[in-house]
Amino acid sequence: MVFLFSMQSIQRPLRTFFLVSIPFLIFGCAHSIPSSTQHQRLPFVGSMAVEKFTFPNGLKLLVVEDHSSPTFAYQTWFRVGSRDEQVGHTGLAHLFEHMMFKETKTYKDGEFDKTLERAGAEGENAFTNRDYTAYVQEMPKDKLELIVKLESDRMVNLLVNEKAFKTELEVVQNERRFRNENSPDGLMYQDIFGVAFQKHSYRWPVIGYEEDLNRMSAKDATDFYKTFYSPNHATIVVVGDVSAIEVYKLVEKFYGDFKSQNDPANTIVSEPPQTQARHKTLKLNTQVQKIMMAYHVPEITHPDIPALTLLSSIMAGGKSSRLDRALVDQGITTSIDIFDLDDKDPSLFILFASMQKGKRATQAETTILKELERIKKGPIPVDELERAKNILLAEFYDKFGNAKEKASFLGHYETVSPGFSTGIEILNKISRLTAQDIQAAAKKYFEPKNRTVILGVQK
Amino acid sequence: MKLKLTLCLLLVGSFVAASAHALEVKFERDTAIPMVYLNVAIKAGAAHDPKGQSGSSYFMGQMLRRGTLHKSKKEIDLAFDQIGAQLEVETRSEALILRGATLSEKLPEFLKLVGELITEASFPEGEIIKLKREVVSKILEERGKDGALARTKWEEFLFTGHPYGNPIKGTIGDIENLKRRDIVQQYDRFFQDQHILIVGSGDSESALIDTWAKNISAKRPNRKRKDDIQMVSAPPIHTKRRVEILDKPERTQTQVFIGQNGVRMTDPEYFPLYLGNHAFGGGSFSAKLMVEIRVKRGWSYSAYSYFRQGLQPRSWQAFYFPATKDTPEAIALGLQLITDLKENGITKDDYEFAQASLVNSSGFMFNTPQKRVENILLERTLQLPDGFMKSYGKNLKEVSWSEVNASFKKFLKPEALSILVLGTAKDIKAKVAKATNVPENEILVVPFNRD
Repeated sequence: MVFLFSMQSIQRPLRTFFLVSIPFLIFGCAHSIPSSTQHQRLPFVGSMAVEKFTFPNGLKLLVVEDHSSPTFAYQTWFRVGSRDEQVGHTGLAHLFEHMMFKETKTYKDGEFDKTLERAGAEGENAFTNRDYTAYVQEMPKDKLELIVKLESDRMVNLLVNEKAFKTELEVVQNERRFRNENSPDGLMYQDIFGVAFQKHSYRWPVIGYEEDLNRMSAKDATDFYKTFYSPNHATIVVVGDVSAIEVYKLVEKFYGDFKSQNDPANTIVSEPPQTQARHKTLKLNTQVQKIMMAYHVPEITHPDIPALTLLSSIMAGGKSSRLDRALVDQGITTSIDIFDLDDKDPSLFILFASMQKGKRATQAETTILKELERIKKGPIPVDELERAKNILLAEFYDKFGNAKEKASFLGHYETVSPGFSTGIEILNKISRLTAQDIQAAAKKYFEPKNRTVILGVQK
Repeated sequence: MKLKLTLCLLLVGSFVAASAHALEVKFERDTAIPMVYLNVAIKAGAAHDPKGQSGSSYFMGQMLRRGTLHKSKKEIDLAFDQIGAQLEVETRSEALILRGATLSEKLPEFLKLVGELITEASFPEGEIIKLKREVVSKILEERGKDGALARTKWEEFLFTGHPYGNPIKGTIGDIENLKRRDIVQQYDRFFQDQHILIVGSGDSESALIDTWAKNISAKRPNRKRKDDIQMVSAPPIHTKRRVEILDKPERTQTQVFIGQNGVRMTDPEYFPLYLGNHAFGGGSFSAKLMVEIRVKRGWSYSAYSYFRQGLQPRSWQAFYFPATKDTPEAIALGLQLITDLKENGITKDDYEFAQASLVNSSGFMFNTPQKRVENILLERTLQLPDGFMKSYGKNLKEVSWSEVNASFKKFLKPEALSILVLGTAKDIKAKVAKATNVPENEILVVPFNRD
């Protein structure tokens, strides 16, 4: 299975569900929006549009009116993740995310959660990635002002006390045990980045290293907050049964006076090109062997991303994909997955498979390499290309089933790229790709020296 | 990341019902995106696996995609991928659901294909051999995933010997011994019109789905069977506290389940218990279990309690995953909190908070077509009244504080709780014995890789 977007079925032109381009901008809507706030109306899914506001303090607001249910999704995306951490302070972005649910100057510890829950919030949550941290919830339609008020408060008024910090540190250590230390898959995922990257901050796990976490103090969290949690580092996304102008007014009311902060000095080191293949074997508490293989690929905005995305679909996008045929049908693995193609900085194209009983991970490695060579040189039939595009198209639409998913799409692309339209442009480009484009990308990136392999074997 | 349980799902709005035949069809038109979601559900599942054939329902479900009278697995895979459609088979204890999704413009091809799988499944021997290897390998792989392994073993432990304890994928021994005739028999038992429910939503006319369903029905005439699906009996109730350690080496963290038999959703005590459970451990960050285990002590990333539902009373359990070093204390605290819940109930404040929270969020149980589809699946497979899931808000609003506490007093059996701990036995056994008041020599220690 792969992560994907495609705008068009090969057989027929795409219905105009997704507008194929972003041709028009409408500035300064009628509703008394001051000229200091930029306003654009941009096409989105079907008849829906995105109202995009950029406030003088740098805060961005995206609103999609969708009146199919008397609810709305409200998400706040901060452009800070583990890539922005420093050596010795790994895991701070994620740990800080936990602290955002604690006391503020306005609300006592626990009051944020309790107020939202009492109001009927659904799916109140947060997540941290390499590139961003997002706070999400869905609310009944009459609770718009409440959520704007609460979210704006914690953007500037959070209090970090040492006791709460230490307790939350324990929680995070426990989360680390759960996600990594006691999870064979988690350990392999940690190592694929740890081995493939040697300079860039993608090399450490989002959850952080145990020893770094143990060294952290409340002061680290406070400094982090002051540096990264400001309106100019955030995008608010609201999708659902709301009026865009009402949302704008409320956000202006509650966030309008917040001051922007200077961007921190960019200390992120570019990853030098990998010059030779890297290989590591992990001894794990597992009953079957596993393999994770990765190639360095460019950032999400790079022109080769559509081809790599389509390539991932050809290789592992369905049960008839090349690797499913060569690995699962041949009795070597139980599954094959490809993931991680959507990072802000150059990242990894990762293939992951679990072996069938008694099979060795090296068998899968040999087979995958053979298939990657085959796609570079052999033909890619038209119907195979069409199949891969159709799979991506269906997966794309499948991600738009509700307000929360639409908001996540907008927040993700708005945060890792210049704008959410990046996600739509990728779709458009995929629909136009040819077999030659795919093979060119395969030749460019699937080189031995660009490869890292982690094998997981039984202890 | 914060971890939360979401409420279960929802129910019926503008569905079009068209069941002039025993096979029931419900489809909700939704043109928001050019997709159609279609579920073919069988009202039987792993709890109906014959003795010695655990996993046979799951296996039969997976085999549906692996051959028909006219198509090989390879051709089926190609046909689905060619139209960008998906079809996965989910097996539950009392339901087997084919979950399909397709671009709406490809719906005719998709329906034709799914119809062929359902009516012309051929269960080729070669594919049975291949699937056996895959399923056995998946069972082995699951042993590397502590959370999933503990969940499976918890059900087996709580319902020892009862069909609710049947592992969905089966045991390795049973899977290896499955014969083609066993699989065909399971298929014939399950795919009878009276057991089939077709529910979907999306960008299509409901008439198209209804016509398709009628054709399916015509191709599979009902036959009387001696081994027709029967409702499972109620699981036995344990009378004393029991502890099992699922022994796995080198664990720095344990998985802890504490629980007992549950109640049916139609039981008069259900809504009081549901509301009370929300206050106690319903996944909220304000719930007692979360506050005591995570917020105050930082012992576990998550801590919650929940009901699992069946046609018979199934289970209620608390779950958390503390560090090995904190496990004995965390178990002792969990037991104390459950005992307190029985003796003292929840506070008035907690009751009011839980009620407001649940009632105000109840609209999220049916605010999308896909949730409404899930609600129908739940109502039909668990024999709940029409509209049951949509009635949560109203029912919870009518529950009083005294009803909550009276229900817990009657329901909870702290002295007869079952406790399962996945961890390294040598590091925790003696301390767990002390924490649970179960003599060390009565604690079952089971190797994590025992079939």
